Amino acid sequence: MSKNDKTIQEKTDELNAIMSWFDGDDFALELALEKFKQAEILAKDIENDLSGLKNEIDVIKQRFDIES
Amino acid sequence: MEKNLLSVSDFIALTNQTLEYAYPSVAIEGEVSEFKVSQGKWVYFKLKDDTSTVNCFMTLWQLRVAIEDGMKVVVLASPKLTDWGGFSLTVKSIKPSGEGAIKKSFEILKAKLQKEGLFNPERKRVLPYPPSHIAVISSTAAAGYADFIKILNDRWGGVKLDVAHVQVQGESAPDQMIRALEYLNTREVLPEVIVIIRGGGSADDLSAFNDEKLVRAVASSRIPTLVGVGHEVDESLCDLAADVSASTPSNAAQVLVPDKVDLINNTNRRIMGLIPKLDSVYSREIDRTRGIIDSVFEAFNHKINRQLEVVAGINNTLAQLNPETVLSRGYALIRGVVSVGESIEIETKSNIIKAEVKDVKKR
Repeated sequence: MSKNDKTIQEKTDELNAIMSWFDGDDFALELALEKFKQAEILAKDIENDLSGLKNEIDVIKQRFDIES
Repeated sequence: MEKNLLSVSDFIALTNQTLEYAYPSVAIEGEVSEFKVSQGKWVYFKLKDDTSTVNCFMTLWQLRVAIEDGMKVVVLASPKLTDWGGFSLTVKSIKPSGEGAIKKSFEILKAKLQKEGLFNPERKRVLPYPPSHIAVISSTAAAGYADFIKILNDRWGGVKLDVAHVQVQGESAPDQMIRALEYLNTREVLPEVIVIIRGGGSADDLSAFNDEKLVRAVASSRIPTLVGVGHEVDESLCDLAADVSASTPSNAAQVLVPDKVDLINNTNRRIMGLIPKLDSVYSREIDRTRGIIDSVFEAFNHKINRQLEVVAGINNTLAQLNPETVLSRGYALIRGVVSVGESIEIETKSNIIKAEVKDVKKR
């Protein structure tokens, strides 16, 4: 996770909210540029988070070839 | 001779000992006849070929596939002489043999489980998307497992995977997978989804996934299940019993998690999509503002012109009233007393004339 403690999902939700703002009734021309920059930063953040995440694979020690 | 005298029981025990030593386990292929289940516990049938027949016995819980008369099967059994002198095979496992028998067995069991509602759509649960904790039941040596892990790692990250290594083909495969399912369903921290995977193979290779007990275990798992077995064309009963079925192990990974590359590209596309939208909003706003300015300018112009017209009218009136204008039309101004003998001054456009009044008449 980069920069702050928000999860990818939270960042994605935030980005979706900004994108919806552009289509909504609250849209204001004066705020558009600022919102656009916020969206760009969030998108970059999400990309970095996604690229950095690795899966953790554990093979269970329990044996299944014999009845326990 | 007398020294070797045996009781009947001893003889049967000795014979069974000899048989057990000679044939601890023997695989026999033949056709099933007179198949019957007794008291819901015991299974009896005959195994025959063109010239010979042998009695077979097994417990119902050992019967993991659907069998019917006329079906060609392979049994794994040990021969036994019974206490009442009958010879039979004690069957440990039985499976259909040949494409036709495998298909037939599959269809019978499918119909039975379908009737019980094991494959009903309303039983299907939605898998968490994307999950953060997955359990995988597979052979870690299998190509299908490697495909699954590769695609999963390519597509998504941050997932915890618990892998239960089991055999995915052969006699013990169903039991191993059942044990793994039971184990995963009783862990302190439960995974969000259990994925059962195996790559492609022959119908016989994949037959473990049509094992009745395994199919029931998949259907009764309290953790949602995803089964990805074989190639696109293969369909196993486990596929039908699972909450979600994938066509291959790779497809299972695709079903399970989104593709981060797609997600990143899509996000960037959405952001870039804002630019023309903003452009259009700005253009509209500029046009609107320009329109307002034009209207104001036009109104202002109109007012100015009106004022200019008023001023021009006044100027015209003033010009008409100007004495010079009157003189230029040929009139004259007379100054002085208009009485006979009086001197007056006459002003025309171009002259000022002194004159004497000689006569005055009323008009």
